[in-house]
Amino acid sequence: MALLECRDVTKAFGGLAALQGLDLDVQVGEIVSVIGPNGAGKTTLFNVITGIYEPDDGRIRFDGQGLAGLKPNQITKLGIARTFQTVHLFANMTVLENAMVGQHCRTRAGLVSSVLRLPSQRAEEERVRERARQALAFFGPRLTGYREDQPASVLSYANRRRLEIARALATEPKLLLLDEPTAGMNPVETQELTRLIGRMRDELGLTILVIEHDMRVVKGVSDRVVALDYGRKIAEGTYEQVAHDERVIEAYLGRRAVESA
Amino acid sequence: MSGARLREGARAGLIGGAVFVFLGMVGMIANFAGLSLVGSQVTLGLVLMLLPALIAAATAARPRVEAGEVRRLPTPAAAATGIAAGAVTGAVVAAALLVVEVVTVERIRSVFVSVSPTLVGIVAFHRTWAVAAAIHVAGGAVLGAAGGAYRSLAPDVRRPVAVGLGTVLVLGLLQRLVPTILFELGLRSDWLYSRTTLGLTWPGAGLAFAAGAGGWVIWRRRRRWQPGGPLERLAEGERATRIALGAVVLVGLLALPLLAGSVISEILGLVAVFLLLGLGLNVVVGYAGLLDLGYVAFFAVGAYFTALLTGADIVAVLGTAEPAFSLHLSFYAALPIVILLAAGIGILIGAPVLRLRGDYLAIVTLGFGEIARIVFASEWLQPVAGGAQGLRAVTPAPILGIGFRQPQRFYYLALAACLLAIFVSRRLADSRIGRAWTAMREDEQVAEAMGISTVKYKLLAFAIGGAVGSLGGALFAVKLSTVQPDSFTILVSIVALAIVILGGMGSIPGVVVGALVLMGLPGLLAQFEEFRLLIYGAVLIAVMILRPQGLIPNVRRMRELKEEERLQDAWLRAGEQAGEEPEVAVAGEEARP
Repeated sequence: MALLECRDVTKAFGGLAALQGLDLDVQVGEIVSVIGPNGAGKTTLFNVITGIYEPDDGRIRFDGQGLAGLKPNQITKLGIARTFQTVHLFANMTVLENAMVGQHCRTRAGLVSSVLRLPSQRAEEERVRERARQALAFFGPRLTGYREDQPASVLSYANRRRLEIARALATEPKLLLLDEPTAGMNPVETQELTRLIGRMRDELGLTILVIEHDMRVVKGVSDRVVALDYGRKIAEGTYEQVAHDERVIEAYLGRRAVESA
Repeated sequence: MSGARLREGARAGLIGGAVFVFLGMVGMIANFAGLSLVGSQVTLGLVLMLLPALIAAATAARPRVEAGEVRRLPTPAAAATGIAAGAVTGAVVAAALLVVEVVTVERIRSVFVSVSPTLVGIVAFHRTWAVAAAIHVAGGAVLGAAGGAYRSLAPDVRRPVAVGLGTVLVLGLLQRLVPTILFELGLRSDWLYSRTTLGLTWPGAGLAFAAGAGGWVIWRRRRRWQPGGPLERLAEGERATRIALGAVVLVGLLALPLLAGSVISEILGLVAVFLLLGLGLNVVVGYAGLLDLGYVAFFAVGAYFTALLTGADIVAVLGTAEPAFSLHLSFYAALPIVILLAAGIGILIGAPVLRLRGDYLAIVTLGFGEIARIVFASEWLQPVAGGAQGLRAVTPAPILGIGFRQPQRFYYLALAACLLAIFVSRRLADSRIGRAWTAMREDEQVAEAMGISTVKYKLLAFAIGGAVGSLGGALFAVKLSTVQPDSFTILVSIVALAIVILGGMGSIPGVVVGALVLMGLPGLLAQFEEFRLLIYGAVLIAVMILRPQGLIPNVRRMRELKEEERLQDAWLRAGEQAGEEPEVAVAGEEARP
C-alpha cells in the first residue's frame, strides 16, 4: 500500500494554477525526487501535503487516512515532517532546543505537571533531550558537543540546513519531505548529504520525498523521479528514464534548444 | 578636518541647549532645585543644568569613523570639540533667556505655565541677562572641555568614574530610604546624609564615590583573575551557591518592611502589584510574543471579582448598599475562583484574535482593555459594579483575624503572590510549554509545521497571563479597599508593557528591575510624580536606542554567547586528544563511533 497517495490534487492562486490534477504515490521505504523548473509547483505540493495550503480539489491520503481539513500540526503528528526551501530555524533557540521542539508532538506534559515538575514530566524531559540528541548525532559531530548550546543563528549555512533536517527527524516521522536540502552547499557537503539521505531510509526506515535541483543528488538518491511542469506531472520513472524524457528536457531547456540539438 | 569636528560639536551643542530649554520649560529644573543631592549647593536641578553640556560634549567627542577607520580623538582635540559643544549649549540657553527678557516672563507663562520667575531666576543665577549669558557660555565651555576630555580617556579610567558618580546620584536620590534603614538598624546616618538638606554630606558623597569606583575596579579585577569562565564556575558550586544566595535574598526581602517603615512599604506594595502585572504580561508578550495592549482588563477583572466574591458594598445615593450580586467568601476561597475566571476571560479574549499578529493584535486588545473599563463603569452594571463610584469596603484578606491592609502587612501578602508568580513563570519557561511558546514567537508557521498547535498555546498564554494579572488586581483591591473604574485606564496597560520592555522581554529579573525602576523610583521621590510619564517616555526611548534587549536580557543566552569561543577551543582540544580532527571528520559513516 502506498504511504502517501495524492489524487487529482489541484491548487490555484488567483488565475495561476500551481498544481493541476496531480497524481502521486509514494511507497513505504521509497526515496522519490521531485524535479522541475522554477515555478513548476514543487513547493506548493509540499505545502499542500503538510496542510499549509488546503487543496482546491482532489484528495491526499497518508497511511490510509485522509488529510483534508487537518491543520499542519496535526499532520506532523500523523508522521509527516518537512524542511523548508529557505532555512527556517528558531534562530534564538539553541541547537538542542531546536531539536527538542521537534519532539513536541510526541510528548504531552501539560500545565500542572510542568509547574509542579512531576516525576512523569521530568522523565519525559529527559527522554526529549535524549531523542533530540539522537537526532543531532545523526550528523556526526557537526551538531553535537559545544554546539548543542549555541544559538542556531551562529551556525554555518550548511549546519543550519543540517539542523533543520535534525529538527524534522526529531518529530519521529514516517515520511520526510526535504525541500532542496543541498541548496547553497558546496560539492563535498552535497555529497555527504546525498549519502545521508540514503542512510535515513536504511537506518531510520523513513520514506523520503525530496525536491532537488542538483541532478547528481537526484541521480544518487532516487528510487524514482517525478518531473513537474506548470503544476502537471510530465514524466515519472527511474532517473535514467526521466533524464532522457523529451518533455523534461524541453521543460528545462525550452523548445528551440531541443529542436536545434 | 578639525572644522568638521567643531561643526559636530556645535550640532551636539544645539541639541544639548534644546534639551536644557525643554527641561526648564516643563518645570523640571525649577522643581528639582529644592532637592539637594550633595551638600546644600548640588541639587538635582543643578545637575539637570550641568548634564546637557556635559553629555553633548561627550557625545560629540566620541570615537568615530573617518575615511574608513575608527578614530579616537586625542585629549586636546576631544576637549576642543567639547568646548564647542558646551559653548553652543550655553549660547542656546542664553538665547532662550534673551527671549524671556524681551517677551517678558508673564506673557510666556500664559502659554508655558512652568516658565516662572523662579525658574528664570535659577537659570539666570539672579543676575542681569548679559552676565548670565556670559556665565552660561563660559561655564558651558568649561563643562564641555571636561566632558570631551572625559570621553577621550581610556575605558579603564572612564568606567570607575562613571560608576562612582552614578553611586553618588543613586544614593542621593534614595535619601528617604537609606537613612530610614540605617536608623532602624540602629546605625547613625548623619555621617552620610545631612539632617538639614536631607541630601548627602560632602564627606558622604566622597565615600559613596570611592565605594562605587573602588567596588567596580575590584569587581573587574576579580573577574579577570578567576580561572575558567562564568559558566564553569556556576556549574561547580551551583546548587550550594544558589541556595545560599536565595536564602540571603529571601531574608532581606522579609526584613525590608520592618527596616524601611510604612511609607517605603506602601511603595513596595505598589511595586509588587505592578510586578505581578509585569510578570503576567511577560508570559503573553515576552514568552508567547503576543503584543497585548489591553492587559488592564485582567487587572480590572481581578479587582472587581474579588470585591464581589468577598462581599464589598456599592456606593449608593445614601451611604452604601449591598450589590445585586454578592458572595461573602473569604479572600482565600475567592482567589482561586477569580483566577480561574480571569483565565477563562483570557481565553474568551484570545479566541477571536488568534489570527491577528503584531500591530493588529495590539489594536484589538487595546480595544478590549477599554471595553472592560467601560463595562465596569456602565449604568447597566451599576447595581453590581457600582458604576463610576465603584465598590468599597473590600475585605482586608484576613488570616486568623489579622488583616493585610496595613502597608507593612500588605507587603508580605504581595511578596507571597509575586514569588508564586515567579515560580510558575520560571517553571513554565523551562518546560515543553515554554519551548512551544518560544518557537511560536520566533516563527509561527514553522512552529505549526513542527507539530505545535499555535491555537492551543496562544490561548494558554492568554489564560496564564490573565490569571497572573487578575491576581495583581485582587491584591490591588485589598490594598485600596475600594475598586473604581478610574483605576483601570489604558495607562495601566502601558505601564505594565513598559515594565516588561525596560527590563528585557522574557526575562524575570528584568521584569523585577523594570517594576522597581518604573514604580519604585517615582514613589521614593515625590517630586518625580509630576514628571513620571515624561521620564517613562524618555527612559523607554533611551532603552530602545541604547539597549534594545532591555536592562537585564535573558542572562543565560548572553553568557553562552560569550563562552562560545572558550568552549569551542576546549572541544577542539578534546577532539585532538581523542585522535580525530573534528573539522575534517565529516558526518559520513567513518566519523560515527
